[in-house]
Amino acid sequence: MLFAVDFFLRRLVQGLVIVVLVAMLIFTLLRVVPGDPVRIMLGPMVTAEMAEETAQKMGLRDPVPVQFIRYAAQVISGDFGHSFVRSAQGGSTGGSRGGDTFDASNRAPVMGLILTALPYSLLLAGLALGISLVISLPIGIVAGLFSGRWPDRLALYLSSLFVSLPNIWLALVLIFLVSVKGGLLPAIGYQNWTYAILPALVLAIELSPVFIRSASVAVSSNMMESYVPSGIIRGLSRPRMIVAHVLRNSMIPLLNVVGIQAIGLLLGSLFVIEYAFNYPGVGLLMINAVFQRDFPVIQAIAILACTVLVLVNILVDFAATTIDRRLQY
Amino acid sequence: MSEAHPILRVRDLTVELQSAASRRKVLDSVSLDLHADEVLGIIGESGSGKTVLSRAMVNWVSRPLEMTSGQIFYHGEDLRQMPVRQLQVLRGRKISYIGADPTSALDPTLPIGHQIVEKLKSVEPGISEADARKRVIETLQAVRIPSAAERFNEFPFQFSGGMMQRVMIVDALVTSPDLLVADNITQPLDVTVAAQILRLLRDLQAEYRTAILFVSSLLGVVNDIADKVLVLANGRVVERQSMQGILQSPEHEYTRHLVRDMPRIWEAQSEVPAVRARVNSNHGREAILSVRDVSRTYATKDRSRLFGKQYVQAVRGVSFDVYKGDSLGIVGESGCGKSSLSRLLSRLEEPDSGKILFKGQDVGGLRGTALLNLRRGFQLLLQDPYNSIPSHLTIGRTVAEPLIIHGGRSKAEIREKVAETMAEVGLGPELAHSLPVGLSAGQRQRVNIARAMVLEPELLILDETLSALDQVEQAKLLGLFEKLQVRHGMTYIYISHDLGMVRRVCSRVAVMYLGRVVELAGNGTTFFNPGHPYTRALLSAVPAIEHRPYDAATYLLEGEPPNPINIPPGCSFRTRCPFAFGRCAKDEPTLLARGSGDLAACHLAEGGMPAPGMSPAGLHDLNPVPALRSGTGA
Ligand code: SF4
Repeated sequence: MLFAVDFFLRRLVQGLVIVVLVAMLIFTLLRVVPGDPVRIMLGPMVTAEMAEETAQKMGLRDPVPVQFIRYAAQVISGDFGHSFVRSAQGGSTGGSRGGDTFDASNRAPVMGLILTALPYSLLLAGLALGISLVISLPIGIVAGLFSGRWPDRLALYLSSLFVSLPNIWLALVLIFLVSVKGGLLPAIGYQNWTYAILPALVLAIELSPVFIRSASVAVSSNMMESYVPSGIIRGLSRPRMIVAHVLRNSMIPLLNVVGIQAIGLLLGSLFVIEYAFNYPGVGLLMINAVFQRDFPVIQAIAILACTVLVLVNILVDFAATTIDRRLQY
Repeated sequence: MSEAHPILRVRDLTVELQSAASRRKVLDSVSLDLHADEVLGIIGESGSGKTVLSRAMVNWVSRPLEMTSGQIFYHGEDLRQMPVRQLQVLRGRKISYIGADPTSALDPTLPIGHQIVEKLKSVEPGISEADARKRVIETLQAVRIPSAAERFNEFPFQFSGGMMQRVMIVDALVTSPDLLVADNITQPLDVTVAAQILRLLRDLQAEYRTAILFVSSLLGVVNDIADKVLVLANGRVVERQSMQGILQSPEHEYTRHLVRDMPRIWEAQSEVPAVRARVNSNHGREAILSVRDVSRTYATKDRSRLFGKQYVQAVRGVSFDVYKGDSLGIVGESGCGKSSLSRLLSRLEEPDSGKILFKGQDVGGLRGTALLNLRRGFQLLLQDPYNSIPSHLTIGRTVAEPLIIHGGRSKAEIREKVAETMAEVGLGPELAHSLPVGLSAGQRQRVNIARAMVLEPELLILDETLSALDQVEQAKLLGLFEKLQVRHGMTYIYISHDLGMVRRVCSRVAVMYLGRVVELAGNGTTFFNPGHPYTRALLSAVPAIEHRPYDAATYLLEGEPPNPINIPPGCSFRTRCPFAFGRCAKDEPTLLARGSGDLAACHLAEGGMPAPGMSPAGLHDLNPVPALRSGTGA
């Protein structure tokens, strides 16, 4: 119990520091790279004075640290600000329609945008993780048990193949074959959950090599531990040793992989894949925000993604310490 | 007991090592009989095939090893012909095996009690969880693991090596097997702990009437437990006799060697001449290294409080002098602080308080070149000869390395010095240009020695330097050290757990317990008339084939040293001391002179302990395995 309190206190503080640093980095980067959001908001027709006036009104000409502190105070009070571009009714404002259509009070709150998109992304990510584990765990475990023999080599070939498939290419091929030619599954946009299957499959194939590799390494290194032959001599059967001890202990490195690599990979690929399938999740929101220099949305998603990564990491490490108590020392 | 039907009957067992090109016999037509209630010792050096033999008894022989012929009858049934399922049930239930490495024998992530229950339920299907649990806790109590019911739920890493070996004994005996194979089970343990385990095994054997096949490379250990002995050399049985017979009239050439070369502590005919001359003549000699009230404490996390720290007092107020040309031994159980002290002496770490003076100069404050110059004066040699030698450099280059670092010599001078040093430590000149691959452990240790000697140090600190080597190689290197000492007037500090070696080479001995030196005395006093009960306890636990003046019944300790975190006031040894009395809890004894420069830290050092039992040597039957001291261990 005491360990848990100590653990979470320490890790949450560390995590907070990481999130704040990432937020600062993103915030600064967005403001130093070229591309003025005011131009995109107001469209090309607006006069320089007008643009300058709007920018100043929005605080975009203040020094970056001042802007950041203002932003941070907002975030702490739970407000991630409003989109520069999207109106509360949905759809983009600005662009070629001229300065008059830009209405500061009618912009969509960032939090609302994210909360609308999030369930779609969670469905997609969960499905991808599930499919990928179902494919790769059996392969990885068998490869680990027969380390150095044909199942191990087969697993290696399979993961090499998966690794070498670019996800965007795979997405296009699957859309073409399964959806357009085969008509088996829908692919573009979202109407019901079947729209998530194809993108999830692409993500799952991208994730699988990592899982296969780490499962097989974990299992085979545990099989080499001396407690395994010793247990068999002590009177336990080999299947029992594998199921009750080897697989259980292999969970620890696997958890770590799921927690760090897999979530990281998912967060990255989600943007690309959602864009490719025009899937209305957080990833698509992010991509569009980047194209439109929609700073508040980009910042909020980056901060949230970082927070998720940190939290998953903490939870995974905690789970590992309950499986192997040595990690508590 | 039925002579006619032994429990285990091995006939002409041959095991071969198969490699792509060749086959080699690891065991060659080995036969043996083991009867109920009997302890058969198997002795042999490493490589003699004794571990393969013991594993073959549980049918644990796997590629590239293969049993090619012979039978292993257990109650008349050949294990080699038995169906796998039947063998699986027999193994763990009727035949148990305990190996040399208790710390890795169980799954590190599950509590020990649960794993023993798992085994019990697996070999005795139908036993209820509650019964299994009860039986395991009872057996844990039988091997005297303190607070067994709580330790049932603890994890393997929370046990010391000795306690873990007890756990493995529980695991083996919980099913009341009639055959126990014990393969080198005392090997990784401290002498005191090993002696406890042997005593325990002997008691349990009497209680459970288990037949034991006891395998060991140490004659002294086998002597303490076995009735009969079988001597294994190069995979063949070269001699079988009663234990006494082996010691008194060994028949085979190999056995004669073994008995003769076994280091003696008390019966040593000739002390090393150098040692004899130097004993107790410290007056008026130059102290090359002076340790003055040195302490070292490490902070670790306290798990019972949030953000708490606790302090491990590893070295507590240690003082001693080492004189030029002398050899000082530092001994004690693991955890006594001798390795921490070694790190302080070699200045890998600095003491929290106190001073270390090398030739009158304080080592503590030195930095930069002053430190580098000082480092020339003393060198540290560690146990592990494998990891310390870079594998990509030639041996000559490795030996030259310190000279290059210290600088100030031409290439030719360095080459000459390296050649000279290598010759001195017994490395052939042809090795200078080869890589260290394929060197034996002994040769590697010689490379280390050469690397240290090339700077012509005045003091060598040997931290378990020879522990990993076998008896023969160890003797050769000790000879080398003595030669170097005579020739160059070297001074040595041997940090070791091997009392036999210390007896042979050290003129003075410091005994450490819980971070303190409790006795500092000349060689003779340490071994024949020690003033501290702890020294006597160590001596009573040495595996020996000679009569021990300090018998285990009086002196052998129960349990293990308390944890050095909260050391109570008073004598720190009192929790295990057989003679502790009222005053010990209040006053901490200091190192006091007992005459002629010998010091001991015990209130009874001047008298009050039984006199050493100096009965005539060689009467091994006067030293039976002692009965248990009554009561549970402290
Ligand atoms: S001082 Fe007391 S407790 Fe300490 S060793 Fe001597 S007799 Fe034992």
